[in-house]
Amino acid sequence: MEKKPSLVLLVAFTLFIVGVIGTVILPYFDGEINEPTANAEARNYKVDSAEARGREVYIQNGCQTCHTQFVRSVQADINQNLGPATAGGDYKYDLPHLMGSNRTGPDLMWVGTRWNESWQRQHLIDPQSTSPGSIMPSFAYLSEQEMKDLIAYLMSLKPADAKPK
Amino acid sequence: MFSNEKNSAAKLWFVTAVFWLLLGMSLGLTTAIKQISPDFLNYQITTYGHIRSSHVMLVIYAWLSMAYVASMLYMIPKLARTTLYSEKLGNVSAVLYNIVMLEGFVSLLMGQTSVIEYGEFPVWVDVQVILVLVLVAHNIFKTIAQRQEKVLYVSIWYFLGSLLWLPLTYIIGNLPASWYPSGTEQALAGWFLGHNAIGLWMTTVGVGQIYYLLPKLTGRPLYSHELSMIGFWTIATFYVWNGPHHLMNGPVPGWILKAGIIPSLLLLIPVWTVFHNFFATMKGAWHKVKDDVTLRFVVAGSIFYLMACIQGPLQALPSVSSLVKFTHWTVGHAHMGPLGAFSFTSFAAGYYMIQQITGNEFWSKKLQEAHFWFSTIGFLLFSFSLWTAGIIQGFAWIEGKSFLDTVLMVRPYVIARAIGGTMLIAGQFLFAFNIYKTFKAKQSSVVSEGNAVATA
Repeated sequence: MEKKPSLVLLVAFTLFIVGVIGTVILPYFDGEINEPTANAEARNYKVDSAEARGREVYIQNGCQTCHTQFVRSVQADINQNLGPATAGGDYKYDLPHLMGSNRTGPDLMWVGTRWNESWQRQHLIDPQSTSPGSIMPSFAYLSEQEMKDLIAYLMSLKPADAKPK
Repeated sequence: MFSNEKNSAAKLWFVTAVFWLLLGMSLGLTTAIKQISPDFLNYQITTYGHIRSSHVMLVIYAWLSMAYVASMLYMIPKLARTTLYSEKLGNVSAVLYNIVMLEGFVSLLMGQTSVIEYGEFPVWVDVQVILVLVLVAHNIFKTIAQRQEKVLYVSIWYFLGSLLWLPLTYIIGNLPASWYPSGTEQALAGWFLGHNAIGLWMTTVGVGQIYYLLPKLTGRPLYSHELSMIGFWTIATFYVWNGPHHLMNGPVPGWILKAGIIPSLLLLIPVWTVFHNFFATMKGAWHKVKDDVTLRFVVAGSIFYLMACIQGPLQALPSVSSLVKFTHWTVGHAHMGPLGAFSFTSFAAGYYMIQQITGNEFWSKKLQEAHFWFSTIGFLLFSFSLWTAGIIQGFAWIEGKSFLDTVLMVRPYVIARAIGGTMLIAGQFLFAFNIYKTFKAKQSSVVSEGNAVATA
């Protein structure tokens, strides 16, 4: 093998494919993560609805680089009152997914239950006015339409069984 | 227009990589400053999210990956006792890759992102990244095919594997979002990319660099070829399984998490092989570290690699993850591999290659020393502040403190991180200036030699 690069490549490729099958392909057959839950249905936005457009604004402005949408059943998340732990099926229609990896700001999975529209608007325009000392930048540069859409999206982020406000 | 001169491709890839190093790190510092002072440069194009994404993508795919390609273009012909298959193709692909990176950078600033971490460029840019990588791989595979040295030194194994794995990994994580059956599936594919961009590209090329440079710089043969082989095959076997640990305690079934945790622990095997080989080869050569900055960068990079790999498997445990996940700790850890370990080995590779290519010592030894100490102290300050901040935050969340309070309480550490980052960047500017002066000195010596010949 020490003289056959093609053999090295072949074995390296085979081991790679085994890992892909184990961690990417097999989960495809697991119903738990691919069956939509009621929460998923609540986030299955109609094309060009305010919520769907707002989700685009969220992505284009990189909200996901600071905010997770990922609640675990661990002490930290329970004691922070983040809401119900998320299940695989909750993300059925969440494409591209916005789980995130870093909480520079708080988790937003169920943020729609925490604040109302006018708080959200005030906070997006001038974060210091609602949360003194916050390190969130102002998003006052958004157009009125973008702002409305983004707020509609944020307000939609609540469990399917949450009481309508 | 495109040169066919020996080593010109390696030179072009490395020199342009250093340009991206300066830009990419400056974007990182901007991110750090924005976490202290959110109004800093707060316009739509330069909003926090755009800058952070560009920082991550450019330091990995522009700086580090281009320095890697440069290393391979230089080292592989040497190890194979042949010349590069095509210097011209190497130069053409360098220009193309730079253009693609520029496109990626601009699209991220414009808010076009595919969201997946380590795969944020939009699909139209991804396609071009893959095409240029295939050109590079073609050039290198052809070089290996025409080799005079029949036995493949271990570095070539690592380089070969990496050139196969990177494009495949990149494709799996970067398919258009609508092709995935669910967000959770996409997260698994995305973290397959997120982890293996590190495991099957950054780590494997970096280890190849270490195995190349260590014998050259110490003047001692590699302690054990067999051990390095065991390392190669255990990385190839276990690293691919690591993606799921990024969703620890999250929305995936237990069997997937276990399939992620166990291989994460088994990764201690390849790390141990690299380390045993490293220490056994260094035996009797430690005194050289004092005077040789290049060797010192290899040593420091290897030690940071060990630290990263001790943290990694521990963080994959559900208990540890539940404390540190989503905190500043993660960011500190994420910089260990790409920055502490493999940017350092790439600095060493750059110093070594440029000295070999020009046939001269570096313009300033003092600047080399300064580059090393700014980088090392800056990095230690940077990472220790983030780890500390992360642990504080993790416990504060468990105590149920309000989120805003947990942001305010780590502010001193976030400031210390920015100071460490400033030192790091200062070091890189010295590096770039030293490279410029070294090539400049070479040019003028060539010109004066030419004049001497002409007047003789």
